[in-house]
Amino acid sequence: MGKLEPQNLTRGAKIRIGLLVFVLILPVLPFMTDYLLHIAILIFLYMILALGLNIVPGFNGLLDLGYVGFYGIGAYTSGLLTYHFGLSYWVIIPLAFINGAIWGILLGAPTLRLTGDYFAIVTFGFSELVVLFLTNEIWLTRGPLGLPGIDVVSIDLTLFGGPKWEFVGELPYYYLAIVMVLATVFVMYRIQDSRLGRAWFAIRDDEVAAVSCGINLLAYKVIAFSISAAFGAVGGSFFARWVTFLSPDMFKFWESFLILCMIVLGGMGNIWGVMIGAVILVSLSEILRELLPLLGLPVEVRFLAFGLIMVLMMRYRPAGMLPIAAVAAQMRAGRTKRRKTKPALGKKK
Amino acid sequence: MFLQQLVNGLTIGGIYAMIAVGYTMIYGVVQLINFAHGEIYMLGAFFAVTFISVLGIPFYAAFPLAMVCCAVCGVLLDIFAYRPLRQSPRLAALITAIGMSIFLQNLAMIIWGSRPKPFPQEALPAYFEKTAASFGGVNLSWFHLFIFGLTIVMMVGLNLIIKKTRWGRAMRAVAQNKTMAALTGINVNRVISYTFALAGALGGAAGIMVGAFYNSLYPTMGYVAGVKAFAAAVLGGIGSVPGAMLGGVVLGVAEALGAGYLSSLYRDGISYAVMIIVIILIPAGLFGRVLKETKKSM
Amino acid sequence: MRNKRTLLFTGLVFGLALVFGITTSAMAENIRIGVASPYSGGAAGYGDNIKAGVNLKLKEINDAGGINGKKVELVWGDDVCEPKEAGMVGAKFAADKSIVAVIGHLCSSATLAAMPIYVRAGLAAISPTSTNVTIGDVGKGWFFRNCYTDDYQGQFLASNVVPKLLGKNKVAIFYENNDYAIGLKDSFMAGAKSGGVTVTGAEAYMKGTTDFTPQLTKLLVDKPEAIFLCGYYAEGALIAGQARKLGFNGPLFGADGIDNEDYIKIGGKAANNTYLTVPFLADAAGPAGQDFAKRFKATYGRDVDWMSANAYDCLGILAQVIAKTGPDRKKIRDGLAAINSEANGYKGITGLTYFDKKGNCAKPAFVKMVKDGKFVSAE
Repeated sequence: MGKLEPQNLTRGAKIRIGLLVFVLILPVLPFMTDYLLHIAILIFLYMILALGLNIVPGFNGLLDLGYVGFYGIGAYTSGLLTYHFGLSYWVIIPLAFINGAIWGILLGAPTLRLTGDYFAIVTFGFSELVVLFLTNEIWLTRGPLGLPGIDVVSIDLTLFGGPKWEFVGELPYYYLAIVMVLATVFVMYRIQDSRLGRAWFAIRDDEVAAVSCGINLLAYKVIAFSISAAFGAVGGSFFARWVTFLSPDMFKFWESFLILCMIVLGGMGNIWGVMIGAVILVSLSEILRELLPLLGLPVEVRFLAFGLIMVLMMRYRPAGMLPIAAVAAQMRAGRTKRRKTKPALGKKK
Repeated sequence: MFLQQLVNGLTIGGIYAMIAVGYTMIYGVVQLINFAHGEIYMLGAFFAVTFISVLGIPFYAAFPLAMVCCAVCGVLLDIFAYRPLRQSPRLAALITAIGMSIFLQNLAMIIWGSRPKPFPQEALPAYFEKTAASFGGVNLSWFHLFIFGLTIVMMVGLNLIIKKTRWGRAMRAVAQNKTMAALTGINVNRVISYTFALAGALGGAAGIMVGAFYNSLYPTMGYVAGVKAFAAAVLGGIGSVPGAMLGGVVLGVAEALGAGYLSSLYRDGISYAVMIIVIILIPAGLFGRVLKETKKSM
Repeated sequence: MRNKRTLLFTGLVFGLALVFGITTSAMAENIRIGVASPYSGGAAGYGDNIKAGVNLKLKEINDAGGINGKKVELVWGDDVCEPKEAGMVGAKFAADKSIVAVIGHLCSSATLAAMPIYVRAGLAAISPTSTNVTIGDVGKGWFFRNCYTDDYQGQFLASNVVPKLLGKNKVAIFYENNDYAIGLKDSFMAGAKSGGVTVTGAEAYMKGTTDFTPQLTKLLVDKPEAIFLCGYYAEGALIAGQARKLGFNGPLFGADGIDNEDYIKIGGKAANNTYLTVPFLADAAGPAGQDFAKRFKATYGRDVDWMSANAYDCLGILAQVIAKTGPDRKKIRDGLAAINSEANGYKGITGLTYFDKKGNCAKPAFVKMVKDGKFVSAE
């Protein structure tokens, strides 16, 4: 289960290595502009967020509608620590991670024993409360006045007698984002292969069986939720140091929905599917931004299209475009849990 | 001031009750949180305004007409979006509901524009403005009484339908146990559609009243009102119609008193907080039963 | 098999995005100026005003042959009045080297989000409507505006309008919880002391609130003589209506956010007896302003508003500068910065405009009021 067959290595891994090379040399290609780099960084950011969210519905089968709350918490953690204390970004990443995880535990512990619908609604309420808090507690967050002038990321070697190198323009952020995405993917793969991951899949596929195998449902669910929250916060921390301006209305429910779209479209539970979902939706968003005025259509069609896509996906391809066998089987028929093939335990076939 | 806040709270509470009842009925029969219900409420207001301004239909006729349109919308929502997913896990249906909600919001923005619209006040009966009763420093206009009265009439009417008519009994049967209901010869799909129609009509009525009373319509008005009404339904106990009514009124009053005495900024937050606390501590709400976790909990 | 298909599809989508990204950098035959505003969403109405004003000036310029023979072309960027979208629009404008200057953004929070990008790329932006004070600092010399700032308006209301024009001393404030209104409220309260005005209470509301009765009830307990509608027209009109219903008959007043025909439309009779400060008043403007107001009404069929007027002048200022410096981003910024005193100020339909080191300009405020369902001058 943990090893890839030699045939897969040739085809699948070759594609991935090729993609990685392409992505690394992208900035020096002649047609690249700062705007396109900006889009690419946005895609990477959403990849990290989507991978984080993927843990909850994809690995655990629960719907988290309040993901943007953790994204916002991470962003403001990063922004405020920078604004008031000038902390280095490399210190902020783990701090944001921990803060996100803490809030994940705080929210998850009382709520994860609820059924799916209630859980979804409670997470939604939580994220709305987070936004309200960020907006109203002006003494802490400057609320709607926003947090301008956040420092850019910098590599500061002055302690060792070296230079201080600040990130200028989009290019350094581009490579930083790639590194963060790769790190996230690595962590996700390790989790998938570990006891933790297997416990999660067991819970997703059949809770009753999982309990009878001695799995503490609540503990594992809380861990999943808090890791998901932690990654959301890390994404938020990057966002804050990248756009150097924060305001509470950047963290609306729409973001949660968008990220949900990405994992639904790409394939819930599938790491690569989720990443592809991120690429598709951000690109689609930008294409529509250009295309709609040319076609004379109003701008709202962009959002309308996303809603429609979700409805159609659920109707015809609920497991996404790169589905996982286990998830696909569950989505197709809620009645039977018997599968014709061997359980893939969340791995792509 | 307290009396005035009470009146404010009861007014908005009645509206929440009407929307909440819709949520609870639908959840009762299909175990789905119909996220798009708030949009039907919004459409009710817009339909009414369109009928009055564009087609010149008088208020007393436009009101029921808009309600009927909302009922139809509810049924269409069921047939095209939810019915194909009857057997699918709840996750799929939830996502579809959210998708439909966003779709309808933006559709309304395209059709009617996203700027807030006033309700054509000239179309309202003239006596609505006048004061009907005055006591303790509080002015109750006829409009207030109209809203109170209509809300009570509709609640009573709904109760009668559920308790006394065949359809009502069928709805209760389907809510209890779909398979058994089908075995006794009830056309489950039709009953569910009927429920959606009823919920839609009530939601639409609420929308029209809000649009007319507060004089402001905008395509995203269903979003916040929907969540609050859902909080009310949860407070009363999801699946229980009297619970939803009570929950709506309680939430409305709590909101008015909270906004008046505590902080107006967290006004919406009150609903969210109530919802979260109720779900965590008393998931059955005031009147409901705790719904057993079914196998379809994906 | 499915994997290949999906990868292909993804590649196609990404590729298309690249294509679109490239094709928007068109040929630089014309002088291209970016205009960033909300053209969709809740603030689209304001974006329409900007469009109207700028288009009117554009026609004038191009009919007269353009700038030094080159026609001016406008590139619209829709920021939905949201910081994140504003960042995208900013990145687009900055990356498109044929765009030499930007008019925008409309919302202060959008401008705050986009300015770091413009500063980095060396692109000057002149805003007709962003009034938040902080932008002057963030702009680092690349930001200019031809509207007054929030602190000026608030002070003016507190020290002039309320005590002298309205003759009232006790005021209740109803402010929206956003950057514009908070800045306005703070400067009002700062100026209230010198004007001898007492603030009996201040209530905040979130955008989109429709039911103000609980907060109004609370405010009216202290019997204020006037209510400050510190926010935008949509909520202001509702507050006016509900305040009247609750029995309040005193005057209402507000700032430029209230200046919109819809205020009267939504507020109805309740909108009467409302005073507001505006940056532009056709009645009080000089002959150029009145002529502009007439042309505006003839072209668009509605009365001119201050946003359109400011936007018109923004393009006018840019045109004047570009005529001297040519389509060069840095030179345009320097040219704008050179407009720094009364002597070389720009004489537009909104009066005399010149900038200080932070790009702010000093503009007078006018007062108008709603009387019998119409806006009239209140002086």
